[in-house]
Amino acid sequence: MIDVLLFVLGSSLMVLSAVLSLIGAVGFLRFRNFFLRLHSATVGSIGGGVYGLVGLALLTLSLDVPGYLKYYIFGVAIVSAALVVFASPTGSHILSRAAYRSGEAAPRPLIRDKLKEAGLE
Amino acid sequence: MKRLLVVGLSIALVYLVYTGTLSVVEVLIAVGIGLALSRVIGVDLVKDESKLSVRRFFEAVKYALKYFTVIEYLAHYSVVKAILSRDPGLKPAIVEVPYYVNSEIAVVTIANSITNTPGTVVVDVDEKRKKFYVHWIFAEAFEGEEARRGVSAEFEEWAKKIFD
Repeated sequence: MIDVLLFVLGSSLMVLSAVLSLIGAVGFLRFRNFFLRLHSATVGSIGGGVYGLVGLALLTLSLDVPGYLKYYIFGVAIVSAALVVFASPTGSHILSRAAYRSGEAAPRPLIRDKLKEAGLE
Repeated sequence: MKRLLVVGLSIALVYLVYTGTLSVVEVLIAVGIGLALSRVIGVDLVKDESKLSVRRFFEAVKYALKYFTVIEYLAHYSVVKAILSRDPGLKPAIVEVPYYVNSEIAVVTIANSITNTPGTVVVDVDEKRKKFYVHWIFAEAFEGEEARRGVSAEFEEWAKKIFD
């Protein structure tokens, strides 16, 4: 019973993450600006990455394979998901800060820029 | 002492989950490496030993559960809708969001929580004036409490409970 539940939950999460990865890619093409694209990149990394890895971990637990293999894949997937959660925002922060300060990617369109008004550049 | 044990056993736990084994040798290696590393980096990871408590740990677990279900669902839904709709209705702006926490780790937690939800990305932080500058694609307010309510109020409440 618990195996079936884990299998269904895990595979649903993996399908969801595949769909979200695709939507993130579509967002990359539709949004024409660096800062807007960062948001669709987040859809790809959290929705497409973390949920997929958690889904993989649950799915593996439900499979009928030798124990050491099962727990090894489960462990790697969970630790990788945690690493993505902690590391990907750091990357986004560095990218957005560097892009803004260097002026390489002008944040247009923008209805108001409080950072420019604060004069921190 | 408490710091050494908590950090060391956490590292050992990550090692054991990653390798997926529970043999005596592996557990000994994990605990050994954990305690040795904890001796070196523990002081940087945990600045105030008195803040290590079971209550705070369970608050963090509760926050993680809520964050990865309700909060992420709502944020993903709005951005996915914007990506797929013919008229996305974007209102991108860099807004000024004040924060009132003191510890460094709480600030990092709030910034990471903001960036990990699609729709908001932290562009810069002013530590002297305690302000985040956040690129928000559905900007409803540009500064002060209204912006804080829309972007980070909930994360800040949790960060205060867990780290401050």
